Amino acid sequence: MAKNVLVELSEALASAAEQAGAATVLVNARRRLPGSGIVYGADLILTADHIVEREEDITVLAADGTEIAAKLAGRDPGSDLALLRLEKATSATAEPASEPARIGQIALVLGRPSAEGLQASLGVVSAIAGPVRTGRGGMLERYIRTDAISYPGFSGGPLVDASGKVLGINTSGLARGMPLTIPADLAWQVADSLAAHGHVLRGYLGIRSQPVEIPAAAQKALKREQEVGLLIVGVEADSPAFTADLMVGDILVGIAGSPVTNSDELYSHLNEERIGKATPIELLRAGQPKTVKVTVGERKP
Amino acid sequence: MKDFLNFSGTLRGALDELVQRIQSSLVVVRGHRFGAGAGIIWDSSGLILTNHHVIGKHTPVVLLQDDRELEARLVAQDEEVDLALLAVEAADLASVQPAPSLPRVGEMVFAFGHPWGQRGYVSSGIVSALPTAQTRGTRGSLTLIRTDAPLAPGNSGGPLVNGAGEVVGINAMIVGGDQSIAIPVSLAREFVQNALSARGPAHTPDRPDPKGVI
Repeated sequence: MAKNVLVELSEALASAAEQAGAATVLVNARRRLPGSGIVYGADLILTADHIVEREEDITVLAADGTEIAAKLAGRDPGSDLALLRLEKATSATAEPASEPARIGQIALVLGRPSAEGLQASLGVVSAIAGPVRTGRGGMLERYIRTDAISYPGFSGGPLVDASGKVLGINTSGLARGMPLTIPADLAWQVADSLAAHGHVLRGYLGIRSQPVEIPAAAQKALKREQEVGLLIVGVEADSPAFTADLMVGDILVGIAGSPVTNSDELYSHLNEERIGKATPIELLRAGQPKTVKVTVGERKP
Repeated sequence: MKDFLNFSGTLRGALDELVQRIQSSLVVVRGHRFGAGAGIIWDSSGLILTNHHVIGKHTPVVLLQDDRELEARLVAQDEEVDLALLAVEAADLASVQPAPSLPRVGEMVFAFGHPWGQRGYVSSGIVSALPTAQTRGTRGSLTLIRTDAPLAPGNSGGPLVNGAGEVVGINAMIVGGDQSIAIPVSLAREFVQNALSARGPAHTPDRPDPKGVI
């Protein structure tokens, strides 16, 4: 081919697809069309949870054409990610991009839904949004949208940049069939947790709550304008909240120095790092501010 | 900023050149009473390649880029690979350059044609997959080119070209609304060679050979 800047761009894209494609595998774990996955570690495959419909009889088809038996190592339906452990290791590990995706950046969506080979489509990063409730008790802090076509069976495959580095994991299982991408840093966090514990660790307080308006006088006592807080309507026996003497009728207004106005905000603060740590929780009790230290527990999967 | 402008200039230059070169070889083929397809000038002496499904029962009419309208003669057709070869009486036409090999998945491609009758439209994308398909005929299985470049009725018979302006395939199908299928140019080359050797080496479009007409 005669070299021009267009040919060079084209070759760079094809090489990016080839490089990332070497770590993109077919995941055969449901009755219908297979899905895709990426090689996260030598014997670990990161894929979309919703394409893993059975826990046994899972096979993975690597880029070099070898078929390897796999077992479910862990799953997190909340972020629609699952980790599979291969019976024997494969080569070419997927490499996450060092920088987060930028709007307008050229990106390739890759998948391997059939034994015929790698599939790809081209687009740009269209939007970065979130947080979003995922409907399976999960919360996705951020997600990426692209205008590249997601072909059937692309769930679990990577979104890659022009140098073949992984920007995120694509799935159509989180937003009623609409394809979106879980950013690489979040996906790797979940995968690390799945590899270590088999599930994602989430913090636990042991309260039930509902949002309530905060009276003007109480806001004055709080010394800030916060119109809504979380009224505690239930405390589970022997829970961290119970031990720290949180009471029904308290209004939770902040955690670890940040105001809390809805349960999503509270949920996103109760991440893995918080578990076992004494965390200051700011309350309004009888209209007066009060800070109580609660040692965050671990939510049972 | 200066570097960026400079880069965009050369990229646009390459795109301009590619589009101009291909559009001069792009024709409109009218074979049915309604609608039209696309075709490409395969050979400067007047051989036009298009899809089999573009030519109908009527005598096909070819509209060149310079608006010359020529009656075409059907030289050969192959329903199995959806290709047809036409001949028009013209000389010194701008012919296309076929690519020497199959493209790689991820390569940039440009589709030329007349979607919904809009003449000379260009759309772009990449090679999405190289699937194999079973034909109903004698060939058995074929490798096709799937692309995410959007196609519409009127793109049929038009070329899919790479960044160097070489034809990698002939656009033939739209599957499921967002998957476009092209026939690899190697099959087209083979089809043309067979068609011409069946007619003898002396290819004279101005003297119709009845045996070549199917």
